[in-house]
Amino acid sequence: VIGVRRYLAIFGALLGLTAATVAVSLLPLPAAPAVALGLAIAAAKAALVVMFFMHLKGERPMVLWPLALTAVLCAALFALILWTEADHI
Amino acid sequence: VDIPYTTEIRPDTGLTNPKLGIWLFLASEVMLFGSLFSSYALLRSGAPAWPDQSAVLSVPLATLNTLILISSSVTMVLAWVQLKAGSVARYRVFMALTLLLGAGFIAVKAVEYADKLSHGLVPATNNFLGLYFAMTGLHALHVAGGMVVNAYLLGPGLRMWRAEPARFTNRVEVAGIYWHFVDVVWIFLFPVLYLL
Repeated sequence: VIGVRRYLAIFGALLGLTAATVAVSLLPLPAAPAVALGLAIAAAKAALVVMFFMHLKGERPMVLWPLALTAVLCAALFALILWTEADHI
Repeated sequence: VDIPYTTEIRPDTGLTNPKLGIWLFLASEVMLFGSLFSSYALLRSGAPAWPDQSAVLSVPLATLNTLILISSSVTMVLAWVQLKAGSVARYRVFMALTLLLGAGFIAVKAVEYADKLSHGLVPATNNFLGLYFAMTGLHALHVAGGMVVNAYLLGPGLRMWRAEPARFTNRVEVAGIYWHFVDVVWIFLFPVLYLL
């Protein structure tokens, strides 16, 4: 059936990245790089799921624009929190 | 009532209505979980001390649940692929597997919660456990909600396949898009609450 092999390949990549994120958490890294690496691996896994399982790859602009707006608003939510914590507000 | 554009593309959006609807709903869900993740960032970065998360929680159980949920995403998308190929028998197998894996996730989560509660670790214990129970609890409710929809699509909802196969296939795709989103939320919860 069309697509099965590709979905299984993504499954393999997700399993590999899960193993990687657990392995990286066992390394004696300082906090900042550990957080950056952990979130980067999570973002890569999320991207694979969203692009291929949720078929966002090649989706119509009418889906992409509301999601872009959501990304901006979500980033603003985190920016406010982080600036507050850094005493910039 | 005849719902328009369930299978044919609506000319102005370029999409079927359910496809646009599920993505707008998920955009609101991103903000819901985003508010919890940003609360976590604020409370943790402002705290003078924070518990060693991987010592309080069980990383092996969370890793197992990660594998379970990722596997359930694969079976869900394969269930849809089988409908596209016209095989309703194989669809049933993959959808049943998806439901089983969802139940497995909830079962592991229940074991985790029971272990915490039996050690007197409750949401009121500290900010970390408050966030842990709120975020994983809301996520588990989303898993349970997805299971209700999937169970319907495997049981009584499957009647639609005979009369309107294309519409039913779209329903399964849209339910899948929601299910994968729940997987994506867990992909972030796992490192944030257990590993970092």
